[in-house]
Amino acid sequence: MAETDLGGSGHDTHEHAGTAPMVEEVTDFEVLEIALRELAIEKGLFTAEDHRRYTEHVEQLEPAAGSRFVAKAWLDPDFRQLALDDAIAASQEMGVDWLHPTGFGTPSDFTAFEVLEDTPTVHHVIVCTLCSCYPRPILGMSPEWYRTPNYRRRIVRWPRQVLAEFGLYLPEDVEIRVEDSNSKHRFMVLPVRPAGTEGWSEAQLAEIVTRDCLIGVALPKPGVTTNATRPLHPARRPVAGD
Amino acid sequence: MTTDHDVPSTRVRTLEQIVKHDQTWERMAARYRVTNPVPPWKSSLDAMCDALDEEGAALPLLTRRDDEDRLSREVYSSLPHPENQLVALAHSLVTRNVIDEAELADRLEAVRARLDAAGATHEP
Repeated sequence: MAETDLGGSGHDTHEHAGTAPMVEEVTDFEVLEIALRELAIEKGLFTAEDHRRYTEHVEQLEPAAGSRFVAKAWLDPDFRQLALDDAIAASQEMGVDWLHPTGFGTPSDFTAFEVLEDTPTVHHVIVCTLCSCYPRPILGMSPEWYRTPNYRRRIVRWPRQVLAEFGLYLPEDVEIRVEDSNSKHRFMVLPVRPAGTEGWSEAQLAEIVTRDCLIGVALPKPGVTTNATRPLHPARRPVAGD
Repeated sequence: MTTDHDVPSTRVRTLEQIVKHDQTWERMAARYRVTNPVPPWKSSLDAMCDALDEEGAALPLLTRRDDEDRLSREVYSSLPHPENQLVALAHSLVTRNVIDEAELADRLEAVRARLDAAGATHEP
């Protein structure tokens, strides 16, 4: 088995200043992923070309498109109206094609997409209570916590409390609407543009529209350009059969 | 196809060995000082799930995700994500008789031999 350069000095032509480019060891999980894929292809569950196409699609996804989408909606009233009336068409203006890569959306990237506009008195947050449906073409892959039964089960029952666990404390007079995604419908939150951003460019605004803001578990704030990291906890009293 | 009830209670010893070996990305990345937040096979796994959802009916999306939830909680609770997603997918495919466990074990051995052989050619 190959030895890695644990000293971090790099090999002859690659210097990585204390980090290595990749693990120099074949792990059981890597082997398992390849073995499953090969067997699935041999059994005709999908083709190698299908898999390559989906991998390319998955690797291209990122939440930056959603951030730019919101920034543009804040600055351009016509685009904002288009986003609310026909979010698929508005996405296309941002270079995001919901029909990619299958021509009709993958089951987890279906083409019905809706933008939920927050107001000073109404806040939206999205979830998928059944599995982990997520507006991937515009937000990229879902965060790990979004997939957990803990979030999916509790956000619909105690939204105010769960948002507080994300550090988002909403006043009692703000109504919270939880939108449940499914294989037919995907949603993204259009937050209220925060104070202190007057005169900002689209690029400046996009920087503060983080993935969490687009899910609805955070609000955009000048100076905050990254998602908070948080530990994951299993449900303390899991529901049998859930 | 087995009943839903059988999926977490059916042992898949081949996968238990993998769990026991504990080569999770968190450990491996720390050991080799790699900063990638997710393992290199993550996007391929996501694509495999998409392809299964889209191209066939062997393991429907909701069945797959429901199995993943239950198995991650009841059987593979020691594994982080996405290792639990991968092992749960394998467990589903085996216990739902899409892939035979002996066939999987043979293929694991063959893939391992192939990858290790490729690595050996780069030994100094």
